[in-house]
Amino acid sequence: MTRRSLSPFAVNVVLLGIALLWLLPYAWMVSTSLKTLPEIVKAPTAPLPAGLNLSAYSDVMRAMPIGHYFWNTTVMALAIAVLQIAVALPAGYALAKLRFRWRSLAFILVVATLLIPAQVRFVPVFTLLADVSLINTMTALVLPFGVSAFGTFLIRQALLSVPDSLIEAARLDGASELRIVYGLLAPILKPTLVAFFLFSFVYHWNDYFWPLVMTTDEAVRTLPLGIALLREQGTGVRWHVVMAGNVALSAPALLVFALTQRHLLRAVSSKAL
Amino acid sequence: MIRLARRAFTLGGALGLLTGCGRGVPPGRTEATLWFTYGGRNREVLEELVGRFNTAQNDVWISAVFQGDYFEGLAKLRTSIAARATPTLSHVVGEVIPYLAEAGVLEPLDDYAHARELGIIESLGQTGSWVGGGDRPLVCLPFNRSTPIAYLNAPVFEARGLSAPTSWEQLREVARSLTERRGSDATRFGFGCPIDWWFWTALVGQAGGKVVEDDGRITLGDEAGVRALELWKAMVNDDRSMKPPPGRDYNAWEQTNQDFLAGRTAMIWTSTAFLKYLEENAPFRVRAAPLPQGRRRAVPTGGTHWVMLRHASREQREAGWKFLRFMHEPEQAIHWAVRTGYLPVTRGAIERLKREGHYDRHPNDRVAVEQLSVALPWPWSRELFRVQREIVQPRLESAIQGGRDAREVLREARALGARGRG
Amino acid sequence: MSPGLLPRRARDPLLLLAPTMVLLAVFFFYPLLSAAYTSLFDWDLLTEARYVGLENYRALHESGELSHAFSTTLRFSVVVVIGSMALGLGLALALNRTGAFAAFVRGAIFSAYVISWVSVALLWLWVLDADAGALTALVRGAGLTPRSWLGDPGLALYSLAMVTIWKIAGYSMVLFLAGLQDIPRALYEAAALDGAGRWSRFWNVTWPLLRPTTVFVATTSLIVSFQVFDVVRVMTQGGPVQSTTVFVYAIYEQVFMNLRVGRASALVVVFFGLLLVLTLLQLLAWRRREAAR
Repeated sequence: MTRRSLSPFAVNVVLLGIALLWLLPYAWMVSTSLKTLPEIVKAPTAPLPAGLNLSAYSDVMRAMPIGHYFWNTTVMALAIAVLQIAVALPAGYALAKLRFRWRSLAFILVVATLLIPAQVRFVPVFTLLADVSLINTMTALVLPFGVSAFGTFLIRQALLSVPDSLIEAARLDGASELRIVYGLLAPILKPTLVAFFLFSFVYHWNDYFWPLVMTTDEAVRTLPLGIALLREQGTGVRWHVVMAGNVALSAPALLVFALTQRHLLRAVSSKAL
Repeated sequence: MIRLARRAFTLGGALGLLTGCGRGVPPGRTEATLWFTYGGRNREVLEELVGRFNTAQNDVWISAVFQGDYFEGLAKLRTSIAARATPTLSHVVGEVIPYLAEAGVLEPLDDYAHARELGIIESLGQTGSWVGGGDRPLVCLPFNRSTPIAYLNAPVFEARGLSAPTSWEQLREVARSLTERRGSDATRFGFGCPIDWWFWTALVGQAGGKVVEDDGRITLGDEAGVRALELWKAMVNDDRSMKPPPGRDYNAWEQTNQDFLAGRTAMIWTSTAFLKYLEENAPFRVRAAPLPQGRRRAVPTGGTHWVMLRHASREQREAGWKFLRFMHEPEQAIHWAVRTGYLPVTRGAIERLKREGHYDRHPNDRVAVEQLSVALPWPWSRELFRVQREIVQPRLESAIQGGRDAREVLREARALGARGRG
Repeated sequence: MSPGLLPRRARDPLLLLAPTMVLLAVFFFYPLLSAAYTSLFDWDLLTEARYVGLENYRALHESGELSHAFSTTLRFSVVVVIGSMALGLGLALALNRTGAFAAFVRGAIFSAYVISWVSVALLWLWVLDADAGALTALVRGAGLTPRSWLGDPGLALYSLAMVTIWKIAGYSMVLFLAGLQDIPRALYEAAALDGAGRWSRFWNVTWPLLRPTTVFVATTSLIVSFQVFDVVRVMTQGGPVQSTTVFVYAIYEQVFMNLRVGRASALVVVFFGLLLVLTLLQLLAWRRREAAR
């Protein structure tokens, strides 16, 4: 596939321009976060801060227990991803490898849940959890996401290509079904599981909607929620503080992305099965 | 598998517990949580007062939690009531208090010690804030109370030899003459004001009307309502001297402040709450002025009242009451008012400020206090917040930003209001 | 589907599926039924619910709220789906090569997909600020009169759509890249031997072979755009003049701002119905394609 009609140089210049469309907003965010309020009021669009002023960052730290939010968010995303995999492995195994009467129905039920996103579920789930006093708990943030239709589907598809003979051999050795699932098949599926783990972790780490409607308490507040609160000050937006918070929110995600780009890209493109 | 899931869960739970415990309530004290809904400067002042209270005694520990702006905080409060996980104390905008009171979620305060003897200024407390408020069980105490006032960019006004407008005609005239344009792009608007129900209510009052009649009929001021809305429309569309700020709720309020600070508007109407914030952050001298009169002078009161939630335990409520009494001592009431711009809520506080010459030194602080003499009470109406949110507010926006006819949108709103009551 | 193994005990498959099914029942199917039931009541979360029959649906319909939420969501979705797919496909075609530079550009574009919606919303709220924003300054610098991107009722929804495209274009780019890499090189070589030009090769080889990817990307971005909430919540709160009140935001507002849980549930039911129709249409498209093969 050669493109002789356009010079590669011109193509690269255009591509660089496009990349800047994505990178400049980040630069703008960092630059704003290093300014002071008078600077922003006076010359909001000055590309560079007058000096290296970190006061916005200390303002963020003073306004909220950001480390605590960070910890909550990480625990929540981790718990969800682990739980999803733990639940999806045996289900995927039953759906891919075992012959039983309700298999098709069970499969359809799992896939059908793709149709019932959080935005459809939250009102009844909220009242349900409120009835059992679980609002404002990690449980309310984690348990409703225990099943991932996508994860179950992904694991099932991956298991289809594992030869039956492997499982039969394990059975002959006297391994229990659970042992087969977690001890034998999980290691074989490692690439799929890693990809799915990353996908799920990033998704829930970034989630705003569910924590917004399920929590009111600082003890379980997550980072996206806390950072969004920075904007709702009531007096006047302090953009340098909001952007400092935004750096704190997006930098870890970008860092994880930089480190795991290959796996993450695979996780995303593996959706196109 | 179940074992693994459980393990993952206990891990999550344990971590959650671990982190939840880190709030540092000293042993032996009753903890009462307090939800508050503003950030920035006003937040700092409140946290300072809470800190003062926590060190001043050894029985109670108040944990103050930020919940976003008024609108978001209210959503959170309702959520917590439904989930029966309420804070002990919160402060709530006046429009919603009748609803919460009628729903039975607010603790009546009459039986608490000295509840009716705090020396509260009548027009700021329950008695004067609502029609017939004094005849009902006491469910709220005033906290950050305000009236809308005008803020002027003093040097700009002085350079033109203009003074604060005292009538609607003058308002239009002054706004027009202070608007500056380069081509069709306005570089400075004469006037700015959030397109918000609160300011519209002020205009309705000035035009001689009431949003809800004393018998509960939702008239939206009839003709007065139309005149109020048409004033804005004329200033935005005909005179092009008023900057319609984008966004809703506090987006619009914040934007109004930013426009004023950056010199993009020469005069704004907003709450007295922002007095100190604007004085301190403006690179020019700020002058406060009362709102002009239409047929008469009138302003609504705004801001929030303290409420205690019924779902809190007896100990928590007792603890919360101690804090409320503390906040109404002159010392605290004064500190809050002079540091933020909100009104001092007790007679003791105002008298002391007058005696000490505070209002002579800070004439801007006097504006809201003096306006109290023309403050109008709100109706005690369960549906008031819905009238505001669902019926009126979107139609004010659609008349100003969407270009719809003022009379028509208000007729539509009245019809909806009448049905909602049925 | 593979024939599979016989379970050792008849109850094994059910046990293995039990956690999934319990969670599905509690957190997916029960809520759906519960929403349908609640939609028949007037309920404010605080006091006793009152049965009102279909009143909530009638009120939503009569006030125009339903059709407004529907048309807002639909317009938003159309712009987002077409915009992000066209951009994603174009970028995939341009970046389907090896080398550090291409990888860098791919990474830059995809990064927006990795950070949170809240981050993106806050970032663009600042860039689009009507007075102090960078974009406004650029437009002004070019000698044009800037518009209020988020304050103009005729523009705000499309500004949000633009932000959403910025966020998800990297996703469709990655999927299209994966699709492109699956196309056997030999096909291009054969087409080149037949004397096909660049356009002809695109239309006759690339486009038809990308169809499964295209259908998939279209479906997922449609669903993502239908569920848009965070950018609305952070950037416009449904305004100005309700011009950005999309379905999910309308549901949120009914529950938490207006305390009308019954009405919100009615919206949920309609919203679910819409998703169902969309999915059925998509299934139909798949079937037709399978049949055409």
